[in-house]
Amino acid sequence: MDYNSFKSAVAAAAKAQGIADYELYYESSEDCSISTFRHEINQFSSSLDGGVCFRCIVEGKMGYASTEELSESQAASLVSRAADNARTLESEDKVFLGQGGQTYESHPHTCPEMAPTDLIRKMALKGDELLYAADPMVADGSEAQVVSQKMSVAIMNSNGLDLSYESGAHLFIASSVLSNGTEMATDFSLAAGDLNTMDIGATVTKSVTKAKAKLGADVAPTGAYPVVFAPEAMGSLLSTFSGIFNAERVRRGLSRMGGKEGQVVASPIVTLVDDPFYKDSIMPLPFDAEGTPTYQKNVIENGVLNTLLYDLKAAAAMGKQTTGNAAKRNYSAPVGIMPFTMYLAPGDLTEEELLQKAGNGVYITSLGGLHAGANPISGDFSLQSSGFMIEDGVKTKAVKSFTVAGNFYTLLTQITALSNEVKMPGFPGKTAFASPAVLVEGLTIAGK
Amino acid sequence: MIAKDICERVLREAVSTGADYAELFAEHTVQHSINMLDKKVDSINDAVIAGASVRLYKGLRSVMASTVDTSEQGLLRCARKAADALGEGTAEITITLRERLYGDIHPIRIVPSTAPNSEKLVFLKDAYFAAQEYSDAIRQVTGTFLDVDHQILIATSEGLYAQDRQIRSRISIQAVAEHNGETQTGSCNPGRRMGLEAFTDVISPKDTGIEAARQAVTMSKAGYCPAGVMPVAIGNAFGGVIFHEACGHSLEASSVAYGTSEFAGKLGQQIANPKVTAIDDGTIPNAWGSINIDDEGTPARKNVLIEKGVLKTYMIDKFNGRRMGLPSTGNSRRQSYAYTPTSRMTNTYIAAGTDTEEDIFSSMEFGLYAKAMGGGSVNPATGEFNFAVNEGYLVRNGKVCEPVRGASLVGKGSDVIRNIDMVSSNLSLAQGMCGSSSGSIPTSVGEPLIRVSSITVGGR
Repeated sequence: MDYNSFKSAVAAAAKAQGIADYELYYESSEDCSISTFRHEINQFSSSLDGGVCFRCIVEGKMGYASTEELSESQAASLVSRAADNARTLESEDKVFLGQGGQTYESHPHTCPEMAPTDLIRKMALKGDELLYAADPMVADGSEAQVVSQKMSVAIMNSNGLDLSYESGAHLFIASSVLSNGTEMATDFSLAAGDLNTMDIGATVTKSVTKAKAKLGADVAPTGAYPVVFAPEAMGSLLSTFSGIFNAERVRRGLSRMGGKEGQVVASPIVTLVDDPFYKDSIMPLPFDAEGTPTYQKNVIENGVLNTLLYDLKAAAAMGKQTTGNAAKRNYSAPVGIMPFTMYLAPGDLTEEELLQKAGNGVYITSLGGLHAGANPISGDFSLQSSGFMIEDGVKTKAVKSFTVAGNFYTLLTQITALSNEVKMPGFPGKTAFASPAVLVEGLTIAGK
Repeated sequence: MIAKDICERVLREAVSTGADYAELFAEHTVQHSINMLDKKVDSINDAVIAGASVRLYKGLRSVMASTVDTSEQGLLRCARKAADALGEGTAEITITLRERLYGDIHPIRIVPSTAPNSEKLVFLKDAYFAAQEYSDAIRQVTGTFLDVDHQILIATSEGLYAQDRQIRSRISIQAVAEHNGETQTGSCNPGRRMGLEAFTDVISPKDTGIEAARQAVTMSKAGYCPAGVMPVAIGNAFGGVIFHEACGHSLEASSVAYGTSEFAGKLGQQIANPKVTAIDDGTIPNAWGSINIDDEGTPARKNVLIEKGVLKTYMIDKFNGRRMGLPSTGNSRRQSYAYTPTSRMTNTYIAAGTDTEEDIFSSMEFGLYAKAMGGGSVNPATGEFNFAVNEGYLVRNGKVCEPVRGASLVGKGSDVIRNIDMVSSNLSLAQGMCGSSSGSIPTSVGEPLIRVSSITVGGR
C-alpha cells in the first residue's frame, strides 16, 4: 500500500490499541547511479528505498518500531511493537512529541528532478574521458560516477504536526588512480548540484591534481611541528568530534563540554557555526526530526561556548530550549542530536599568509581511519595522514604514512590562525562539515 | 518468501533485453537492539527491513535495481527497470528454477526475534552492571543487546532457487573511566551467529562487562604512547584486524579485478613472510562472519589466501570473477538488498604458528605490545593502512611494562606482512562489523600473538 493509506492504517491501529500520543516519520528516496571502468559503463544501479518509523508514548516512555513493509498487518504490528518496547524502558527522562502550528523559515533551494538515464550515462562517460585526458599517469581503476537522487521526509503526529519536505541533487564524483609505474596514488573530488550546469571538468582536474601530488611522497620526520589542516582534514576532524557539542552526550558524561556554556573552550579567534541553510547545502531543512523550526547559531563564539546542540528531551532535562537539532541517522534510528552544516568561521589570512605564519611544519590534506584512531569521548586522536611539508613558509615535498596525534579539546585552544576561505569538500547533505585551512600549534607527528 | 513461479516471471522480465545472467535477491530482516545508559534501559530499536533487488550481467557490465515493493507487480517493475537500463536486445536465455537446499551448518536453538525483551535484558544487565560495578572510577557505561534475523532468497537465471536464514546476537559494552579529570574508554563486543544460547553456552555476559571496564580503568591511568618506528607485538583475537586491513581488503576481487590492489597479479608469489598463513573461512560453525551460502547463492568455503607467505587465492564474487576469469570463492556479500554485493571477507585470520609468547616478548628490547586493537581502514591501491590501539603497553628488555594510550599503527600492507616475523599458537577470533562499498557486514578477525619487526607507531 502507499504511504497515505498506510498512514491511515496506523492511525486506526493506534486508536484501536488505545495509543493517544504518537508520531509517524517517513523517509523515502530514489537513486540512480552509473559508474565507469576503462571508458565503459561498468555499473548501473537504481533504487527505491523507504521506510516508516512509528513512536509512541506509553506510561511516560517513548517506544519505537519501524518497517519498510507498508501493509495492513505491519501497521498493526508496528503499533503493538512500539508500545511493547515502551513498556520495557526504564529511563525516567520526560519525553516529548513536537507541537503543531509552528512557523518555519523558508529557504528556497534548487531541487533538480531525477536526471534522465541517458544524461547520467553521457555525463559518466564524459567524466571518464576527461579523467584519462587529464594526465598521462591516470591509470585503470579511475572512475567517473554520476548519481541522481531525490529524497523526501514527512512527519505526522497526534499533536497536529504534519510536515513534509523534498530535496534532490545530482552528484558527480571523479575518483582518480595515478600510477608512475612503481607506485599508485588515489584521490577523489565531488560536485553536487544540477548536471545541466555542473562543471565536471573542474572536478576531474581537482581529483587528478590531488592524486598526482601524492606520487613520490616521502614519510614525514617524527617531531612536534606547527600543523596546517586543509579544509578536507579539518572537516574530517569536526565530523568526528562534533558529538562533543551534543547536549545528550554531555548530560551522560560522554563529553567534556558539561557545564562549559558561557566559558572559554577555544582560542579567541575560533567561531564555530551550525547552519541548516548553509549556501552550498543541497538539503536546507526548515524543520528538525521532531518538527522544531531550525535556525543558524554560533556554537562557539570568539572562543566561548555559546550553546550546545539540543533536542526537546535534552533541553527539558537541562532547563534549556531546543536548538532544533533533533536528527535521525536514517528513518528507523531513534531521535538523536546532530548538527546541520557545521563550520569554522573564516579568519583573515590568505592560505599563503597562513603557510608563512606556520614557517616550518606539516600541511595535512587528508586524514584516515577516523572511526578508529579518534576517541570522541576522551578527545584523543592519532590519525593516519598525508600532505606536504611546509618549509620557510611554502608547501614543498609530498609526505604520507605518518600520524598526527593530539586531543581535540586541547586542539580548539591551540588554533592560532584560520584562512579566509571556507570550503566544503564532502557531500553537502543534511549533516555536513566545512572549514577554512587552520593552523594549529603543538601537535605531534610520527613518521620515520 | 517469494514463490518460485513469481521468481521465474521476474527473471524472464529481467533477461528480456539480452542479459546473459540475472539474479533476484529478496530479503526480510528483523533487527532489534536494546540500549542501556545511566544504568537504565534507555531506548529500543526495532526494525523490519524488507525489499528485493534484480541484478543483470551482460559481459562485463552489471546493472542493479532495487525496491521496497515486493509485490509481484513491484518486482516486475524493478526487473523492467534493470532490463531497460541494460539496453535494447532480446531474450537469449530461458529460465527454469530448481530449488536447492543447502542445509544449515549453523544451528540456532533460541531464535532471538521470537524472544521477549525481558529474556535479552537478563543478559544485557548482567554485562552492564558487571562493568558499572567494576570500579568507582567508572563514570558511565553504555550497553547494547543486538539481534538480527536475516532471511534471504536468491533465484538466478542459472536455475538456482535457494534460501538462507542468518541469525546473530551480540552484546556490546562500552565503559568510561575517569582518573584525575581525564576520561578513557574500554569496550568489549562479543557476538555469534547464534541465538540467545550464545550467552549461556559460549559468551559470559558478566566477563564482557568486566573486560570493558578493566580496559577503561587501565587506560585512564596510562600515559601517552611515544611516537616512532619500533617492533610491535600484536595480541590475539581482535589483533587480527591488522591482517584484515593491511592485507585482507587488498585481496578482495573488488580491487584486484581492476588492478587497484597492490597484490593484483601476484598469485603464486611470495608476498608475505613464510611464517604467515592466512585463511578466510565462511564455514566455521556459528562464527560471527559465517554463512551457509553467500549473497549470490554460492556455498561458503574455507579459502587459504596465503600459505607460508605465498599468495594462493583472492576472495572473489561472480561479477568481478568474470573480469578475472576466475570462479566465485563464496565471498559475495551485501548489507541488504539495497547494496550491490561484492567480494568481502567472512572469518579471516592468521593461522597458528610455532613461536611462544615468551619468545616474542623476550625478542623485544624496546617496543609496543598492542594487547587490544580498535578498528582501522586501508586504501587497497596504495596499501596504506591505519588502525588504533585500544590497549597498549610498552615493552622494555623483553618485559611488558606500563600501559600507554593514544597509539595508532600505520604502514603499507605489503611491507607489514613481510615484517610479521614471529607467530605464536594461541589463535582466537573476535567479532567486528566491516564497512565497504556493499555496506556493513559481520566479519570475524583473528590471529595468535604475532610480532611485527618494525612499524610506525603514532603517538606523542
